[in-house]
Amino acid sequence: MKRGLVLLLVLALAFGVMGTALAENEKVVITIATGAVGQEYQLSVEAAQRYMELHPDVEVKVLVTPDLATDRLGLYLQFFEAKSSEVDVYQIDVIWPGDLAEHFVDLYEYGAKEVVDQHFPALIENNTVDGRLVAIPWFTDAGLLYYRKDLLEKYGLDVPKTWDELEKAARIIQEGERKAGNPDFWGFVWQGNAYEGLTCDALEWIASNGGGSIISPDKKITINNPNAIEMLERAASWVGTISPPGVIGMSEEDARAIWQAGNAAFMRNWPYAYSLGNAEDSAIKGLFDVAPLPAGKSGKGAATLGGWQLAVSKYSKHPEIAADVALFLASYEEQKIRAIKGSLNPTIKDLYKDPEVLKANPFFGRLYDVFINAVARPSTATAPKYNEVSTLFFRAVHSVLTGEKDAQTAIEELELDLQDLTGFEIGQP
Amino acid sequence: MFSKLKIKGGRPKQTNSNTSELARREQRLAYTLLLPTFIILALIAFYPLGQVFYTSFTDKTFASGEKTHFIGFDNYKRLLSITIKELPPIIDEKTGKQKIDPRTGEKLYERAIRVLPRKPIRYRELTQFSLFGKRYVIGATDRDFIQAIWNTISFTVISVLAETILGLGIALVMNSNFKGRGIMRATMLVPWAVITVVSARIWEFMLAPSRIGFFNMIFEKLGIGDGNMVFLSNKSIALPTLIIVDVWKTTPFMALLILAGLQLIPKSIYEAAKVDGASPIRQFFSITLPLLKPSLAVALVFRTLDALRVFDIFQVLLAQKTYSMASYNYYQLIGNRAMGLASAIGVIIFIIIFGFAVLYMKLLGVDTE
Repeated sequence: MKRGLVLLLVLALAFGVMGTALAENEKVVITIATGAVGQEYQLSVEAAQRYMELHPDVEVKVLVTPDLATDRLGLYLQFFEAKSSEVDVYQIDVIWPGDLAEHFVDLYEYGAKEVVDQHFPALIENNTVDGRLVAIPWFTDAGLLYYRKDLLEKYGLDVPKTWDELEKAARIIQEGERKAGNPDFWGFVWQGNAYEGLTCDALEWIASNGGGSIISPDKKITINNPNAIEMLERAASWVGTISPPGVIGMSEEDARAIWQAGNAAFMRNWPYAYSLGNAEDSAIKGLFDVAPLPAGKSGKGAATLGGWQLAVSKYSKHPEIAADVALFLASYEEQKIRAIKGSLNPTIKDLYKDPEVLKANPFFGRLYDVFINAVARPSTATAPKYNEVSTLFFRAVHSVLTGEKDAQTAIEELELDLQDLTGFEIGQP
Repeated sequence: MFSKLKIKGGRPKQTNSNTSELARREQRLAYTLLLPTFIILALIAFYPLGQVFYTSFTDKTFASGEKTHFIGFDNYKRLLSITIKELPPIIDEKTGKQKIDPRTGEKLYERAIRVLPRKPIRYRELTQFSLFGKRYVIGATDRDFIQAIWNTISFTVISVLAETILGLGIALVMNSNFKGRGIMRATMLVPWAVITVVSARIWEFMLAPSRIGFFNMIFEKLGIGDGNMVFLSNKSIALPTLIIVDVWKTTPFMALLILAGLQLIPKSIYEAAKVDGASPIRQFFSITLPLLKPSLAVALVFRTLDALRVFDIFQVLLAQKTYSMASYNYYQLIGNRAMGLASAIGVIIFIIIFGFAVLYMKLLGVDTE
């Protein structure tokens, strides 16, 4: 009796498996590996649904990947090492196209030529490796200066346009607020921990001061210059004065925690903090706004380019359909939905004039120039060694911020390290 | 066990020479039966190990189609080369004497960056020291790795020592008779039961560098610091902090192992000692400690080898600020994709751990009965 039951069960399972296998054989299955931060997963599933409605012969599956970019890269590398066809479309960070180019198809061969002009040229340039478009931009990011409207008004100050103005305003507000009874108040919070985020922040400081971008796009090491050293010393002087001593251990979310509790006058962060700062439970709802980051000697502020792209695996069994899915997800209509629902910055220029998008994110239109002029990290020029370049850079900057080394020594050593690693020549920014 | 039997009996040899057909057949059968075990062992242990050994002599890039070259011992040279150079003093041209820093009053020496060799591989400054009025600099080709070895070994020695002493104390308390002993034993194990990554994250929140963090709040209330202590980014207190976290986490494990050893000691010995008039302290040193030695040795070996492989608390709490050997290995493989170099690191870690294991067996006599 028992044996009979087991047999039945096994048979049922076998038929069940065969059944689904048959059903799937009729459809082409495309798997996309996307992020799951905030609403990202939900948005991807909905987009997949829309694609399937238009293409009944394709099934689009969404694979959830780790939140932290480093962990996600670790997972992707394992797929690539095994030349796995498991995943067809990968969501990749803006700094990865150079490093991972060999694993992706050239999207120009799959109809991307018609759409590239719609996107930000800086992103297209970033995703082009040896003339091949290895990824299509999906959403973008750039560093912004968050400021408290109410406090600037209270102390009769303008939105700072230079680092000098920012330092002054931060000091005035910090002193005033502390006297008014908030001992935890700080002038300026940012990302000072030793990780990729510090590379972004420090690149903004240095570029805004005319110090170049560590390594120039034409493969010259430009970091050892007086403007860069001066700016790093300035940043180190913020620690413990207008910024908390703990800023050297802070990442995006630590800075946001202080800011959103109403304990900071200024914050450097990505656009995602905008909708969260205006959420119901936020202490500063409606009290803040965003502006471009301050300028240094160059006279212009600089914002580091961030964001995510979609790339199609070379090991995919159906690269044509996978590329079609990627281009669909990165299309005007889809990016519009993501911008409105998830406050994710589009990479298509025209969307910054779209009234529905602007209604949901009023600052998109005003800061269009910031997004379009964002400074790229030297990931394409140094590929496939960008990650180590960045690690050497943020560790050198961190040693200056902690006071372990002076900026001159740290930058000199960094220059030698970069020479050893890349073999590039020394140049001027 | 096995080797002892062989030496004492010496019988297998005899039977061999007597060419007993039955014994030979049995021997063959024994080898045939052992064969699957050997194959499985080779597959799961020796193959990956051999693969790592082989890769450590190449410049393989992880997840890349680039050609791999055999480069001999280059990875090891890059990881382990160390040099010591004397720093020449800076001479003031006017007086002919050594220049002195006007601010600190210290004698000035040439900067290490100018003295350390640059070719064929560059040496980076590890540390400086003075000896007989001369100043020296130690340079290493891979400063991060040498520091990682140093960090890991000092972490291991201090944390294991603290855990053993604390664990022994807790185990002695647990071993005595009192009400609620069962509940105490269960609750004691909680820190060890929590997954390391999870508890490391919790510690990270508690160690936050502002008054959001638990410790900054408490310390400020107690008058220590200003509520803005940076526990994890300040190089001088990061490692001690990490050791405290590890002691919190692993002391229960030590206590448990030692407690098991304590319970093996027959009560009657203590009763006899009491009759003989031995004081509790005398009892501890003459009975408890000697009889506890085997279990203590096992616990020490376990913990030391485990601590040398430490990865998760370093990775979660310090990430790329300070490496342990294992977290540096992880960075070189995943972050830097240098698979050849990462394999060499793996081999070096293996050798270091192996060295510690052998040392322990010799010192504590773990392998003798």
